[in-house]
Amino acid sequence: MIVVVDYGMGNLRSVQKGFEKVGCDAIVSSDAKIIENASKVVLPGVGAFRDCMRNLEERGLAEPVIRQIEKGKPFLGICLGLQLLFEESEEFGTYKGLGVIKGKVKRFPAMDHLKVPHMGWNSIKKTKEVPFLADIKDESYFYFVHSYFIQPEEDVAATTTDYGLEFVSSIWKDNIFACQFHPEKSQSDGLKILKTFGEFN
Amino acid sequence: MEIIPAIDLKGGKCVRLEQGDMKRDTVFSSDPVSMAKKWESLGATRLHLVDLDGAFKGKPQNQDIIEDIIDAISIPVQIGGGIRDIETIDEYIAIGADRVILGTIAQKSPKFVIKACDIYHERIVVGIDAKDGKVAIKGWAEVTSKSAMELAAEYEDYGVAAIIYTDISRDGMMQGPNIETTRELALSVDIPIIASGGVSSIDDIKALLPLVNDGVEGVITGKAIYSGSLDLKEAVELAGKYRTHYSAD
Repeated sequence: MIVVVDYGMGNLRSVQKGFEKVGCDAIVSSDAKIIENASKVVLPGVGAFRDCMRNLEERGLAEPVIRQIEKGKPFLGICLGLQLLFEESEEFGTYKGLGVIKGKVKRFPAMDHLKVPHMGWNSIKKTKEVPFLADIKDESYFYFVHSYFIQPEEDVAATTTDYGLEFVSSIWKDNIFACQFHPEKSQSDGLKILKTFGEFN
Repeated sequence: MEIIPAIDLKGGKCVRLEQGDMKRDTVFSSDPVSMAKKWESLGATRLHLVDLDGAFKGKPQNQDIIEDIIDAISIPVQIGGGIRDIETIDEYIAIGADRVILGTIAQKSPKFVIKACDIYHERIVVGIDAKDGKVAIKGWAEVTSKSAMELAAEYEDYGVAAIIYTDISRDGMMQGPNIETTRELALSVDIPIIASGGVSSIDDIKALLPLVNDGVEGVITGKAIYSGSLDLKEAVELAGKYRTHYSAD
């Protein structure tokens, strides 16, 4: 069973509905036991890094999520769910993340003609072939809403996206696929990713 | 630039009002979910939902239908109308709203806007209704001496993600958008502006397109796509489907 981790940071329903649209059952749960027994884990997230991390920890869900990743269960991180995998974020001070991937989360610098947050549709450039993106053409468009971007310190980049600077818009490492964009809001290409993840063995 | 279809909800139906007058409504569809799917299938990359009953009563009245719409499509949705407390924002975000739009409350209570932005930064959009660049309040009944630019600068300070700028002398009147005031507003702030009001034809879209460089990331269209004077698919293709921003070079 695909379990979407509910830690009080919204937007879970769209993700669950997205899976439904492609014929995959997903449940939303904040129960550590259910998360530990999931066959696949999805970590979405909206809001501030520190709030997300605090909520995960207060609800005792950080450990189960990390254990599932370590066990090799397919893991999908979306938006904050990508950023949380990293060691730390500079959002509102310095906050520690789950530390599953080496690297940091940085804020977009002030740039001429480009607004922060980066909010809207933008394209991805594949940097390597990734199973979770097998059905996605290079330069496809996805929906982004974020002010911070990841800077991995290991070779995990699956795609990059240009927004004034080239940032890593998704990563792939073993059983982990995580994206800055929102597949559940990215029309048919987004749904394809959910489908691939849902059917992945 | 995003071409954003509006679905204005009144009594569970998709309607359009003329100049914000609840009595001057035209019902376009009694099935807003099908309407939403139709706009998505024609290439819309975002929908703009307005709970008109909510706006008039001061609290949401069409949540069930809004939930059905969000569930039925896979594009971001922004919602406004009657959002006056954090709980309502929580509810809309929880059912999958991408952004919520604050109207009346934003002018009455800067504190509320600041609080909402603190909790949901990047997801709070504020509407500014204006006539010839001056802010209109009380359901457009009164035009103040405050300039839209002044108000926009305040909202930017509060942390809102974008501003929906409606020229009330143009809304629903299909007289063409107010290009100059929209551009001036966009240039005066660093947050994106979404233009609203007055689009009636593909020529209006053409006139707005250069403003993407000034920070106008989208345009909301209602009556024009329902009456057929604007072909949504054509507009989306012309605007460059996903080009909500681009570098100046």
